[in-house]
Amino acid sequence: MMRVARITLALFAAGALAAQGPHANVGTYRVYVACESADEVHLVAFDGKHAKVERQIEVGYQPTEIEGPHGLTVGLEGKYWYLSIAHGKPFGILYKYRTSDDELVGQCELGMFPATMQISPATGLLYCVNFNLHGRMLPSTVSIVDPEAMVEVGRTVTGAMPHGSRLSKDGMRHYSCAMMSGELYEIDAVTFRVKRNMQLDINLPKGHASEAKPTWISPHPDGKRLFAALNGKATIVEVDANKWTVTRRFETGKGPYNLDITQDGKTLVATYKTEGAIGIWDLDKGKETARIKSTQGVTHGVVISPDGRYAFVSSEGKNSDPGALDVVDLKTNKLVASAAVGLQAGGVAFFEHKK
Amino acid sequence: MWMHSGTCREAPHRLLSRAECRNPQEPPLVHYTRTVSAILLLAMAAPSTALAQQLSKPSDNGKVQVSPDRLTLPVGEKAQLEATILDKDGEPTKGNLLYLSRARRSVRVSRSGEVTAIKPGNFEIIVRAILPSGRGPEAKVIVSVPHPTPTAIQLTGAPSKLYTGTTVRVTAAVVDKKNVARTDLTVALSSSNTDAMAIDAYGYLTAGRPGSATLHANGGGIKHEHPIVVFENPVRSLKLAASHQTARTGDVVHFTTNLRSAGGSEIDSVPVHYTLHATPDDALGNGATGQIEQDGRFVAEAPGLYTIVATCGSVTDRLTIRCNQRLTQKRKLKKIGHGAVLDVHTSDLWVWEGVDGRDYCVTGTWGANGDAIFWDVTDPSRIERIATVTCDARTVNDVKVSEDGRLCIISREGASNRKNGLVVYDVTNPKNPKRLSQYDDELTGGVHNVFIDKNYVYALSAGRRYDVLDIKNPLAPTRVGSYQIFEPGASIHDVWIENGIAFSSNWRYGVHMVDIGNGIRGGSPSNPVKIASYAYPSGWNHAAFPWRSKDTGKFYVVAGDEAFPHGLHTKTKPTYARGWLHFIDFTDLDEPKEVARYQVPEAGTHNLWIEGNLLYVAYYNGGLRVVDISGELMGDLYRQGREIAWFIPTHPRAVVPNASMVWGPQPHKGKIFFSDWNSGLWCVELVEDRGRRR
Repeated sequence: MMRVARITLALFAAGALAAQGPHANVGTYRVYVACESADEVHLVAFDGKHAKVERQIEVGYQPTEIEGPHGLTVGLEGKYWYLSIAHGKPFGILYKYRTSDDELVGQCELGMFPATMQISPATGLLYCVNFNLHGRMLPSTVSIVDPEAMVEVGRTVTGAMPHGSRLSKDGMRHYSCAMMSGELYEIDAVTFRVKRNMQLDINLPKGHASEAKPTWISPHPDGKRLFAALNGKATIVEVDANKWTVTRRFETGKGPYNLDITQDGKTLVATYKTEGAIGIWDLDKGKETARIKSTQGVTHGVVISPDGRYAFVSSEGKNSDPGALDVVDLKTNKLVASAAVGLQAGGVAFFEHKK
Repeated sequence: MWMHSGTCREAPHRLLSRAECRNPQEPPLVHYTRTVSAILLLAMAAPSTALAQQLSKPSDNGKVQVSPDRLTLPVGEKAQLEATILDKDGEPTKGNLLYLSRARRSVRVSRSGEVTAIKPGNFEIIVRAILPSGRGPEAKVIVSVPHPTPTAIQLTGAPSKLYTGTTVRVTAAVVDKKNVARTDLTVALSSSNTDAMAIDAYGYLTAGRPGSATLHANGGGIKHEHPIVVFENPVRSLKLAASHQTARTGDVVHFTTNLRSAGGSEIDSVPVHYTLHATPDDALGNGATGQIEQDGRFVAEAPGLYTIVATCGSVTDRLTIRCNQRLTQKRKLKKIGHGAVLDVHTSDLWVWEGVDGRDYCVTGTWGANGDAIFWDVTDPSRIERIATVTCDARTVNDVKVSEDGRLCIISREGASNRKNGLVVYDVTNPKNPKRLSQYDDELTGGVHNVFIDKNYVYALSAGRRYDVLDIKNPLAPTRVGSYQIFEPGASIHDVWIENGIAFSSNWRYGVHMVDIGNGIRGGSPSNPVKIASYAYPSGWNHAAFPWRSKDTGKFYVVAGDEAFPHGLHTKTKPTYARGWLHFIDFTDLDEPKEVARYQVPEAGTHNLWIEGNLLYVAYYNGGLRVVDISGELMGDLYRQGREIAWFIPTHPRAVVPNASMVWGPQPHKGKIFFSDWNSGLWCVELVEDRGRRR
C-alpha cells in the first residue's frame, strides 16, 4: 500500500508539474527499458508531458524460465538495439533487434550472466561484461562482440562480478567495475588487453568480497576523469584517468548503483538503489543539487538524453509491483513523468529524440 | 600499448587465448561453438542480411591494404597477414589495425595478424583501421581451411562371411589421419562378384551363390577392399514361434525361430530377417499399425491380425497372431475439487500428510509476487486456501515438503536484491508457516528446482549444478556437497532423489544418475559420484523420474522434454508446447537404451509421476494424462492405446482463460492432485467411465 501511495503521489506531483510546463515542443524522446523478471523490453516515449509505453517486446527463448534481460544499448546509427539475456543454458545471450520494428535479427552466446554493454565508435565493437551473478566469487570476463556479424571476437578476464561496462568518449578504452573484488578495470579497446586496474575498496577484507561493491563506472566526457559508484559505501569516487588515483569522494544516498553524465560534463545523475532515489550532482562543485524519490523502491538504471535535458531512470519495484521508467527534468531537477513497465525494470538505453 | 602505423608485424602483444580468458567454469575453446538447439533455430531464423550489416562504412577515408587478401591454410598451420592503412590518396597513414576473426573457434587471428587454422571451412578475417578520428576503413580476408587429407575408409557391419540368401547392411565413412569422419565425402560400395554378393544403394549386401567376393569401397580418393566368403546356407527348415498367440495393443510379443540343417541339427549363427504384414480391424485408411524389430520383438498399435514372416535364405515361415484393443474398460478423470488461483500463474505443487493427520498441499507462483500458497486438501472436494507466504521473489518455481511433514523449502527467482536462494519454513502447522531461515550462498543466480531427501536439500544453482545442503539444523543450512557436469556448456534443470540416487535432468546432457548414498558407487551427499547417464539428440531433457517395473524387473528412467517451438503466451493466448516422454532402459547401467516413448500429438510434456504401473503426466496444453505402463515397453505408448484417461482443466477467468497448461501431477491417497499454470490447484480421481449422460 505504501508503494502504491508513493507512486500515486509521485505521479500526481509529476502530472501537476507537467501541467504547468515548461515542456512545450520538446519533441519526443524514446528509451528502451529491460524488465528483468518479465522477460520483456518496453519502448517508452516521452513527449515532455507524459511517458507512455509504445511497444512491449517479449524476449528470450525459454518461456517458463525467468531469463533476465538486463543490459541494453542502441547501435551507433540507431538502426539496431542490443540486449543481454542473463540466464541461458547456462550461458547468456546477446540479442540484436531492429529499431524500426523490434524484430530479432541476430544473436550470439556470451558468458555467464552477461549484463551491461556499450559499442565503441572507434572499433565498432560491442563490449559486454559477464556479470556472473551465480555466487562463486571467481574472476569473470568482458565479452567483445562484432555486432555486425554478431560473433564474439574476444574475451578479456577481469575481476569478480564485472559491471558497468562503459567506454571512453573516443571509444579507445573500456572501463568496468568488478563488484565483488572491488576493482576498476581499464581495457584497451583495440588490443583487448587489461591496461590497468585499481582497487577501489580501501578496506578490502582479506579473503572476502568487497564491501565497497563498485557497481558502475562512467567516464567523464573530458576524457580525464572517471566516476565510480561504490554501492556498499554510499559513495561516488572520482578517479583521475591519467594518474589513476582517486581524487574526490562524494557521499551519496544509500546504494549508488548506476551513473550517467551529461555530455557537457557538468551534471552526473546517480541512482540510489537501496534508498529508492535519484541523485543529481553538480560535478564542478562536487555537490548534490537534488535528491528525488523514484516512483518505485528499487532504483536501477539511468540514461541522460544527448541534449542533457532529461534523465530517464528505471526503478524495479519488488515482488509483483510493476517496474517504472521515471523522467527527471534536469533543468528543474524534478520528476516530470513516469510510465509503469514490466517487473524488475533494469537496463535502460536511449534510442532517439525526434523534434 | 600497441600503437603504430601501417604494417602490424612489429606488434609485440598477442591475443589473449581462450584458455587464458576463460572462467574456470566455462567450457574449453574447442567446444565453445556447441549451442543449444533452440539458439541454433533462432539463429537460423535470423535473416542472413543481418550478418552483412555495417554499422558504418567509413571507406571514404581510404582503405586497408592486406597481403595476402586470400589465404588457404591447412588445419594447425599459421600465416602472417601484413596490412597497411592508406589514405584517400593512396598514401600510408597513421592508425591502429584491429584484426578480427568472425569464426575464432575455426580460424584464429592474433592482434598482430597471425592467422591460425583450426577447423575446415571458409572464414572471414576483418582488418579494421582505427584512425585518430575514429573507426576507419577495413578489409576482408577470406581464409580457406581445407579438410584434412582422407587417409582411410572405415566399414561398419561388414562380415567376413555370408550365407546364401541372407542380407546384412554395411555402412562406410572416409576418415582423416585423426580418424575423424569426413562427412563431406561419400563412399561408393560395389561387389567384385555380383553372383556371389550383390549390394544395393543403401549398403545392403545380399549373398547369392557360394564363392568369394570383394567389397570395394571408394571415396575421397581412397580405395578399400574387404574380402567376403559366401557359404552355402545350411538352413533347410525354419520354424517361427511367438510368446503369445493373442495379445493386446502395446504388449511386446517375442518371436523366435528354430533353424535346422538338412540333418536336423540346430543352427544359430545364420541371420534371420523379420517382416510384418498387418491386417488391422480398422482398415479405413489406417497408417502403419505395428512394428517388428530384427531381434524378434513385436508390438501392435491397433487391433487386428498381424502376420510375422521370418526368412533365412530360401526358407521361410509365417505366423499370425491376434492383437486386441488394450483397454476395454473405459476410464475417465473425474473432477473432485479446484483451488482456484486466477490472478497469477501457478507453478509446482507438493501434497503431503501433515503431522496432524490432515492432508495439505503447497503451490508456487510464477512471474508474480513471490508467493507460496498452502491448502488444506483433506476433503479434496472442498480445497481450502489456508495460508500464503511471501518472499522477495517474482517466481517460486518449486516447493517441496520433507518426509516428516515439518519442513517446506521454497525456491526463489527474481529477488529484488538478486540474492535469490531458497527459504525454509516450519510447516508443522500449515495454517501458520513459520519462516526458519533463508539460504542464498552461491545460489544468487536463482534456484529453479529443489528436492528434499532425508536431512538434505538438493538445490539447483547457477543453472549448472546442484548443491547439497544439510538441513539437520533448519535454522542454519550448510552446504556439504555439489554435483556438476563438467562438459562444455553443460546446464541442469531439475533433480529428483530416490533410493540414494539423484536423477538430474540436464537438457542436452540428458539424465545423470548419481550415487548420493545408495552405495553402488560409494557416494554420499557430500561426495556425489556419477553412476550412469544418457542423452538424446533434441537436448530438451527437462525432467526425470525413476521407475522399476515389477512386471519385468527392468529399471527405467522416464525423461521428460520441455519445448516451446511456438512460444509461450503468458496473458492472452493459449500456448502450444511440444515434446514427449523418453523411456530409457537403465537395467544395464553401462548401456542404457531408449526403448519407448509417450507422445501426445500437438502438445508438450512438463512434470510427471509414476505410481505402480500408472504414469501421470502433466502435458501442458494437453492437460493431465494417465497411462498404463505395465509390462514390457516398446514403441509409442500413446499410439498403442495405453492412455487410460485425460483431463483438460480450464476456467473462464483463468490467467489465460479457458486454456489448459498443466504443470505437475502428484497422486495422493487415491486421488490425483495437479497444478495448472493458468488456473491453480486441481484434484481429480480415476473412475469408470459410464458414458455421457443424456
